[in-house]
Amino acid sequence: MKLISRYNRVNLLVTTLVLLLSAVFYYFFVKAVLVHQLDKSLKTEQKEITDYVTANHQLPEPSDTREEKEFYAPVSAMQYRRKFSTVSLYDAHRRENVLFRQLAFTVLVGNQIYRAEVWKSQEETEDLVKLISLITLGMVIVLLVTLLLVNRLILNRLWEPFFSTLHQIRHFNLSARKDIALEPTRIDEFRELNGAIRQMTHKAFSDYDEIKNFTENASHEIQTPLAIIKSKLELLSQGESINENQMDIIESVSGTVHRLSKLNQSLILLTKLDNRQFSEKETVDIGNLLLRQLNHYEELLLAKKIHLDRQIQVPTLISFNEALAEILISNLLTNAIKHNISGGTIKASLDGQQLTVSNTGRPLSAPPAVYFERFQKDSISGDSLGLGLSIVKKICDNYNFTLSYRYEDGFHVLKVKWNAN
Amino acid sequence: MKILIIEDEKELSQSISDYLKSEDYVCEIAADFQKAIEKTESYDYDCILLDISLPGGSGLEILRQLKHNKKLDGVLVISAKDSLDDKITGLTLGADDYLAKPFHLSELSARIAAIIRRKNFSGSNLLQFEDVTIDTLAKTVTVENRALELTKKEYELLLYFVSNKNRVISKNAIAEHLWGDDMEGNHDFIYTHIKNLRKKLSESGQGDLIKSVYGMGYKFSTP
Repeated sequence: MKLISRYNRVNLLVTTLVLLLSAVFYYFFVKAVLVHQLDKSLKTEQKEITDYVTANHQLPEPSDTREEKEFYAPVSAMQYRRKFSTVSLYDAHRRENVLFRQLAFTVLVGNQIYRAEVWKSQEETEDLVKLISLITLGMVIVLLVTLLLVNRLILNRLWEPFFSTLHQIRHFNLSARKDIALEPTRIDEFRELNGAIRQMTHKAFSDYDEIKNFTENASHEIQTPLAIIKSKLELLSQGESINENQMDIIESVSGTVHRLSKLNQSLILLTKLDNRQFSEKETVDIGNLLLRQLNHYEELLLAKKIHLDRQIQVPTLISFNEALAEILISNLLTNAIKHNISGGTIKASLDGQQLTVSNTGRPLSAPPAVYFERFQKDSISGDSLGLGLSIVKKICDNYNFTLSYRYEDGFHVLKVKWNAN
Repeated sequence: MKILIIEDEKELSQSISDYLKSEDYVCEIAADFQKAIEKTESYDYDCILLDISLPGGSGLEILRQLKHNKKLDGVLVISAKDSLDDKITGLTLGADDYLAKPFHLSELSARIAAIIRRKNFSGSNLLQFEDVTIDTLAKTVTVENRALELTKKEYELLLYFVSNKNRVISKNAIAEHLWGDDMEGNHDFIYTHIKNLRKKLSESGQGDLIKSVYGMGYKFSTP
């Protein structure tokens, strides 16, 4: 729910409630004031009647108009309190029941006590109250609509720096090394927000640099000693006096050194991919790249009696990184070769939509998605690190490609959908 | 042939120098940036092995200066630092080749030989071993003037062997040379190629030039 709708909901609810309550209160108040006015004029009537009786010792002629009626009746007891009330009377002029304000009191004429009742039409008062109520209601509606519009306008404008900041954060890219450009604002809260974000991005930059330097240094520091070990082993194996047993040991150490260095490189590549250090995009002819690599493995396939079935669209241009494209294709192909069976098949197909590499091989011992995780491998292939497909997956994630793996009809099918990117 | 090894790790430059010396290369070593600059400015080398991270400066800067001074020395960048970036930068700056650490000395030797051949300092693209002649420009092989038909990988293998003659070359090094380091450890793949090459060479009248060295690999030498 948007903040403005939430705010409007509460705001409108409270405003409407308050306005309606005050409208009701206003209605009764105005009505009371007007009735009080009527009562006052009724009192004047009473005074006129009593004055008339005092002067003339007889009751005045009762009037009977639209606005005012009078009525006298002899009674036995004196009533000291005058009594106001509202009654509905049939009005012969209008031929309907009309509300009248009535004042009843007693008056002494000679020795006879009379009960006098004076009525004044309340109709005008009612009309006035109705009119005032209508105007009030109209004003309530106008006020609400105005509030709604003004709120929307002002809030949208007020929130503008927030949305600008949000936009900047969304387009923020650590590896692009571009400082976040926040619009200056006079609102304290947004100024604080921008300050915090600026602080956070600076921290992110320095952390990112630290990790980047660490991975690069780690690679360097580890690869160099490995290079020394490897070269010493090779020199050692040139010696004439080495026996078979020692050769075996040298070979085994040499293989382990290679594994270690490959592991190091793969983990560093994965870290770099995790850190999104490859953000630059270029147009890569992946069709040509694939053909070149297949060519490269041609004799290997022949030696292993693996049949190659290919449908490759050349050129296939996609927005990618050349070095990563090579790694992606090489990993998929070596995977398909390593885990193949003698006399098996590799199918490679490529177009602008997707790349599919499928190969014959033993059925999987785990669900396919497991092989995208690090260090997951079929126990039978001892020389594999179990990082090849994790790297492929990470590369795909970096470039919004969709990677899928399934086993069907004796084929391991790895598919990369380029998606529009 | 004169080689300059610019590498700050003494142990590594010593190994390289030891290996290359028996190939009749004269090796000099520069262990820091300043020494490297002095040497490259004063002398000409057939090939310079260049490490990127050096005490006192970047190897890429040396490369830039070499190109600026229009020096013709062949340059092979050997680096462990961020191979993806260094490779591209090094090659754009005009290095002849790039090799990531750790490498096989046999691979390094083959790459150096290729650079020197390409620069054509020796004035010939013909490589000779016994009666086998390799034309590295036409990529053809003749034995006693008769053409020897080889597949692409067999040719690469033979060239690799000739560049490392009289040396024990490990199966791993061969596998990596032929198919890249992803295929290292898959020795059964190289066995077929070795067998075929061996057969073709002996059929053409050469003795068994490729000797198996138990447990380790192969050695290319006179029978």
